[in-house]
Amino acid sequence: MKKKSKRLITLIVNDVEYEIATYPNRTLLEVLRDDLSLKGAKEACDDGVCGTCTVLLDGKPVRSCLLLAVEVQGKAITTIEGLSSGERLHPIQQAFLDNGAIQCGYCTPGMVLTAKALLDEKPNPTDDEIQIALSGNFCRCTGYNKIVKAIGSVSAGKEGGH
Amino acid sequence: MEELSYVGKSVTRKDGPTKVTGRAEYTVDVSLPGMLHGKVLRSPHPHARILSIDTTSAERLRGVKAVVTAKDSLKIRHGFVDTPRYPADQYPIAVDKVCHVGEEIAGVAAIDEATAEEALSLIKVEYELLPAVFTPEEAMKLDAPEIHPSHPKVQEPYKNIGGLTRTGWGDVDKAFNEAYLVREDRFVTHLRTHAYMEPQAIVASYDYSGKLDVWVSSMGTFLKRAKLANSLGLPFGNVRVHKTYVGGAFGGKVDLFSHEYIASLLSIKSHSPVRIVYSREEVFKGARHAQPLILELKTGVARDGTILAQQVRAINDSGAYRGSGVVVIFLAWGFLMVPYRIPNLKYEGYSVYTNNLVRCPQRGHGAPAMRFAVESQFDMIANELNLDPAEMRLRNARRPGEILPNEDSVKNFGLARCIEEVARRTNFVEKYKKAEEERSSVSTIKRGIGIGTCAYFGGSLVYPNSSSVIVKLTDDGSVLLITGAVDMGQGAETVLSQIVAEEMSVPVEDIQVYAADTETTCIDIGSWISGLTWVTGNAAKKAAENAMKKLLQVAAEELDTDPSELVARNKEILVRRAPDRKISYKEAIAASIAKKRGDSIIGEGHFRTMKDEPTHPSLATTKGRWSENYSSYAQVAEVEVDTETGAMKIIKVTTAHDCGFPFNPMLVEGQIDGQVSMGQGHALYEEVLSDEGAVINPSFLEYRIPCALDMVETDYIDVITEEYKKGTHYDTKEVGEGYVAGTIAATANALYNATGVRLDQTPFYPHRILERLEQIKNKER
Repeated sequence: MKKKSKRLITLIVNDVEYEIATYPNRTLLEVLRDDLSLKGAKEACDDGVCGTCTVLLDGKPVRSCLLLAVEVQGKAITTIEGLSSGERLHPIQQAFLDNGAIQCGYCTPGMVLTAKALLDEKPNPTDDEIQIALSGNFCRCTGYNKIVKAIGSVSAGKEGGH
Repeated sequence: MEELSYVGKSVTRKDGPTKVTGRAEYTVDVSLPGMLHGKVLRSPHPHARILSIDTTSAERLRGVKAVVTAKDSLKIRHGFVDTPRYPADQYPIAVDKVCHVGEEIAGVAAIDEATAEEALSLIKVEYELLPAVFTPEEAMKLDAPEIHPSHPKVQEPYKNIGGLTRTGWGDVDKAFNEAYLVREDRFVTHLRTHAYMEPQAIVASYDYSGKLDVWVSSMGTFLKRAKLANSLGLPFGNVRVHKTYVGGAFGGKVDLFSHEYIASLLSIKSHSPVRIVYSREEVFKGARHAQPLILELKTGVARDGTILAQQVRAINDSGAYRGSGVVVIFLAWGFLMVPYRIPNLKYEGYSVYTNNLVRCPQRGHGAPAMRFAVESQFDMIANELNLDPAEMRLRNARRPGEILPNEDSVKNFGLARCIEEVARRTNFVEKYKKAEEERSSVSTIKRGIGIGTCAYFGGSLVYPNSSSVIVKLTDDGSVLLITGAVDMGQGAETVLSQIVAEEMSVPVEDIQVYAADTETTCIDIGSWISGLTWVTGNAAKKAAENAMKKLLQVAAEELDTDPSELVARNKEILVRRAPDRKISYKEAIAASIAKKRGDSIIGEGHFRTMKDEPTHPSLATTKGRWSENYSSYAQVAEVEVDTETGAMKIIKVTTAHDCGFPFNPMLVEGQIDGQVSMGQGHALYEEVLSDEGAVINPSFLEYRIPCALDMVETDYIDVITEEYKKGTHYDTKEVGEGYVAGTIAATANALYNATGVRLDQTPFYPHRILERLEQIKNKER
């Protein structure tokens, strides 16, 4: 199988511009992980159903395993590595810790980013709205109870506000 | 009791900040310079002789660095069990025959995945197809194709018997004759899987010094080291299994797997690091799944529901090799006999070879199947005798101090209290009666409530049998905790830190954990067999005590008193009766270095359970001690069933649990929530489907696991049977496995309570429920 030639693309990831030479058939997930060493986004299902590869594209959660890197030039990409800044964790991250919402942690980056997109759009979601927003992010360890609780606690401002 | 500062508290996870920021390095994230990508060639046939393998074209492909087949291997068999009775029976790479679809035949390492994939297609294998068999009952028949010879010690006229457990006590026939009611039922459980989020993954890196470095998603690095070293013929010390974060396991990452062996072999041959990461499809088609069981139960009871005798036959489909099949038929006996008193028992369990995928443990390892069967039949009996199901369970539940027939004591067994409390909290009796009354109402949405129980063992004697822990005090009094424990999400590193913090009066934040690496840490029992907190936890306690003894000795000399007069508080040592006379850890450590010829303060601790027992009990006869800490729990499920569609929803699960002393209540709750969710999936819709031994739903699109919309409300009641007193060891019990079983059992009984539908087969698919509803309706007409 002969490979197509590489293209030079520009990605804006966590407010930093990267110029990358890549094949047009590579996914955003592959480029983030292999070219930029941003490995918080994970692969788990190969089908776009599990949500462990979630990143934010202009603030909306997307499955980076279903997007080609060449498609997302010029858009603001946020990965888990770009969420906290300075000395403190992001309030959502802190809430995950405080509420026991993390076990193996493999789904956690995707969960946190999905929660961020939800809370940015709806600062005070109901539990139902949280469950709907998270329904595309699989977690096998927690049964979701403590994740929903963690996100609810941020919205209620219990963790110092959002 | 002295006030506890760290244990028994909901301390947040030590590894939480690393995980929540995406910095935790899992095996899939490991990348080494010059790393090659490995792929595995698998058998497309369920049973075939390998006549020839031609790898010439694959080896010639540009970018291919190594190709391996059995001729590159030492042809040493391995197995989940390797004992004189049950010697290892599986080659890590097929030698002359394949026994299941997906069996590993060759491996390729290339510069990228696409090249490796292409190389696989160039390998030519000639097969001679053999007849195959896919159900254990067919495989047992004398005219079935022989996959492996039947076990020489099994005299019964069956084929393909991998193992047999036979045990019992009393006189069942006499007891059945005297019983008020005898029921005989048959239950069938299905093939389910772990669905760990991180797929199977390994990076193996062999260098010219003869050392193999390995990063692997596992439940115990020391077991992986032992099995890799044995099958590769390397000294144990030459194999280093590094720590990585583990993206879930649930039983599915114990034992050695062929792709791990193949990655190592490819690395040895290419002298380059080799990475093999399964696709999800490969996980479904090539990895091991859990143990389906067929269970035949005959139970005799007195008029008041007291069990008089049980006769149980378990048949396990172990797949193409023994895997953990001979363990599950032993464990199923244990999960049968622990919760309720059985004065007369006859048990036999067969593990049968078939041409299916090899099986492995999954959370509960036999308990979900056995408790589903026992608890379902229990309710059937209660219904026939018109007894309250909770009351009938209470009558049979073992009490504290009872001695089991294998001479184990259940010690402070909380089952009876769990049943009482869960029934009270959920208004069980009232709701149960109400649902029965409303079964005939016109509403098409029926609610029901059901109860299930389970009991579990912990930390039994299985390789490596024990755990060792080292604690090192640094100059300023902060602590390095060195343990072989693998934290796969359950919180091992956090709990061990809490223990050391408590015993050394050092804040949890001042403890750094170095874990799992076989080169720099100590042997550890592993994150299976439900005993890490019990075994490694007590090793950590002993290590902390050992270090403190040394520290207090120095402090006593400095403060001119006896160590017994001293007390440690937050990195300071004080004279108990004169607390203004004190010395900081930092000062005491400096004094030790200055005055004791440079002795730094290091503590070591070792622990194994049942230290007077030579080894694990016999898998064949069940003779021998098994465990010294039995957990127990009672769970109540509340369900809603739509009688028009047959769809069932679990609304709420309430759990009363006796896990001994709960080290970290938040982690305990997390374990229970996760098991309720897994139990829900297994009870309602998760099933690995196969056709002629080939998995036909190999993705999360076709194998549905619970998502956030399916979340079940959970409630917990702590039945704390063990307090921790300073100076004694920590009595903890299992909390991470058996609740799957209780949830499935309670759900089965709640379904009956809601609709009158009794299913003898899992999962409880809508079409199965509808079919039975139809039968009930027809009978009423």
